[in-house]
Amino acid sequence: MRAPSRPLGAALGAVLALSLSGCGSSAPEGTGQVKLTLWHNSADPAPLLEMYKKFEKQSGHKIELVSIPSDGFEDTTQTKWATGDRPDILEYHATVSGLLALNPAENLRDLTGEAYIARSGDLYQAAGSVNGKVYAAITGFPQVFGLYYNKKVFTKAGLTPPTNFAELAAACPKLKAAGVTPVFESGGSIWPVQILPILYLAGANQSNAYGKAIAGHSSTLADAGSPFVSGLTAYAKLKTDGCFNKDIVTAKFEDSMKALVTGEAAMVAQHSDMLPALLAAAGGDQKTVDESVGFVGLSSDKPLVTYAPGPIGTFYLPKTGDAAREKASLDFVRFMTGPAYAEYVAASKTFPVFKDVPDPQGVSSVLQDVKKAYDTGAVIAFNSDIPGMGGLAQLMSELIAGQKDPQKAATQLQGQVEQAAKAAGLPGW
Amino acid sequence: MVMRNRAAWLPWALPAIVLVTVFFVAPFLLNVRFAFSSWTSFRAEITWNGLENVRTLIDQDLLANAVTVTVLYAILCMAIQNTVSLSLALALQRTSGINTVFRSAFFLPTLISPLAAGYIWRGLLAPDGAVNSFLGIEWAWLGEPSTALVVVAFIDAWKWSGLITLVYIAGLNSIPKALLESATVDGAGPWTRLRRVVFPMLAPALTFNVAVTLVGALSAYDVIAATTGGGPGDHTRALNVVMRQQWGQGFFGSASALGFTVTLLVIATAVPLVWWLRRREVTG
Repeated sequence: MRAPSRPLGAALGAVLALSLSGCGSSAPEGTGQVKLTLWHNSADPAPLLEMYKKFEKQSGHKIELVSIPSDGFEDTTQTKWATGDRPDILEYHATVSGLLALNPAENLRDLTGEAYIARSGDLYQAAGSVNGKVYAAITGFPQVFGLYYNKKVFTKAGLTPPTNFAELAAACPKLKAAGVTPVFESGGSIWPVQILPILYLAGANQSNAYGKAIAGHSSTLADAGSPFVSGLTAYAKLKTDGCFNKDIVTAKFEDSMKALVTGEAAMVAQHSDMLPALLAAAGGDQKTVDESVGFVGLSSDKPLVTYAPGPIGTFYLPKTGDAAREKASLDFVRFMTGPAYAEYVAASKTFPVFKDVPDPQGVSSVLQDVKKAYDTGAVIAFNSDIPGMGGLAQLMSELIAGQKDPQKAATQLQGQVEQAAKAAGLPGW
Repeated sequence: MVMRNRAAWLPWALPAIVLVTVFFVAPFLLNVRFAFSSWTSFRAEITWNGLENVRTLIDQDLLANAVTVTVLYAILCMAIQNTVSLSLALALQRTSGINTVFRSAFFLPTLISPLAAGYIWRGLLAPDGAVNSFLGIEWAWLGEPSTALVVVAFIDAWKWSGLITLVYIAGLNSIPKALLESATVDGAGPWTRLRRVVFPMLAPALTFNVAVTLVGALSAYDVIAATTGGGPGDHTRALNVVMRQQWGQGFFGSASALGFTVTLLVIATAVPLVWWLRRREVTG
């Protein structure tokens, strides 16, 4: 075997030296600037992306954005997370059930002492925290779930939008007689069909009482006559009564938005973060949306909206063991929750989560309806604190297909909750 | 003599043995333990929990349905693909300009991504899609329990039949012409030639095609995910679809148990099937 020739050896040496210099620290030593990896939801709105750039400019740190598709967001994040890969900053759900699945005590930094928590009211009583420790920095207004309705359709039919399930059931035949689909459900996208039963349960979940009872195992979803079984029964009855669109099994979420804006359907149960999709369905015409679409709260027996802290603008700081990067990522949280936050609220035209930041100007009339309904009566989604509820949407598909009755679906879901609660080591299981 | 031949084959078989060992046997052996573990996203420690994952999947009515759907889907895919492909191969066996055009046309779907193929067909088969417009009916092909599984199997067949057809054409063209001419001289008609000469001589191609289509469909995921997502209800919820759902909820042990079930199904189906078909090749 011949030794490499001198030029070849020199070239190999140069490549090796370059390779070694490329490893490890991503910024020159001593500058205090580091590269932070941020796993973020691909649905982050432009004003939020702009905030990331502003932080780079102000701090001198570099943010490498790793975009996780919003379609399948939870699955993809879990998959990356399971490999042991950790970003410096993670944008993810603020619900306790979502948080538990990240094994926070082991993997996330405790942010309990940070200043933004005191300014957030009682937000962290129900979100972003486990066992008294706060792990999340929530900057996005919660997703507010309720009933979008077409104002023109209701005016023409001489009806007012329903705020409880009895009114909803009563409105169905009248709307059908007027030639419109009363409620448009999009089973082809799977997840939207769980919204109506969750709205129903707001009536039983004041102060998160029902959610706590299920998570603490003092009640089960499958108890005879439980609120959950009643919710599924009420949903099944609406289906039997023909309140839903014929293509409920195959229709996609985008179809529901279009049907609502055009007046082909009278109502769609959805949440407030879907307003951009509603605008897209109206061809980007905000005036059309404002003129035709309104929003009300709905539950089993009273006008309540259901809220759940969403993933957009909710940040966690995973433990990485790198002191410089951990300091910089904490700076990021302080930036996002600091003075720059008011700018973000004004630019994004969403409502603030901090008491000392004023509401934005020029908010669309639908979003004003959302805020009004939220201020009138808001209850956290009953499933926010319960791990293992991810199977609800799949079970709703089986309920719609007539494969499961409400009691059987509740029993099966209770099994999934038990599986997750035991895995999470929740007290009482 | 036989032993010496075997020793001579070993170097040629070695690359295949190494590849199968590195990319299949080793990962399988290293990961199979997770199917019997308490691995979830909720906690760091992973402990042995025996058949607990399988029990959980049975208790939640997930396993039996997933196995049934997977097996039914695999049989449908295998039957449709081989029937269509054999018919196409017999029609397009002769190499001519027009046949080359048709062969290429039927092969094209093989080059499309399965997800893209699924999305295209989902659009075409929507209640207000092109297929219903053409037929003048209103039917949710992918939303009705009676048609969903069969239609998804047809889409899979559409996607892969071109490839299977090529294998059959190669098999047909390897049949000595003299044999067919002798049969004709002996008074055999087209049907008798097909039954007595062509089919027996096609046995190696049949073995390959049946095994490949069946095993491929047992591990189905992409076309189902893009068309029905497992619905309506759980009518197309194959093992890999449930695996993805379990994984997404952080139940990695249960998901691994489902992956292990797919492997067991493939081994339990492919090994006896190939053994039986190979025997037919020798005796046929």
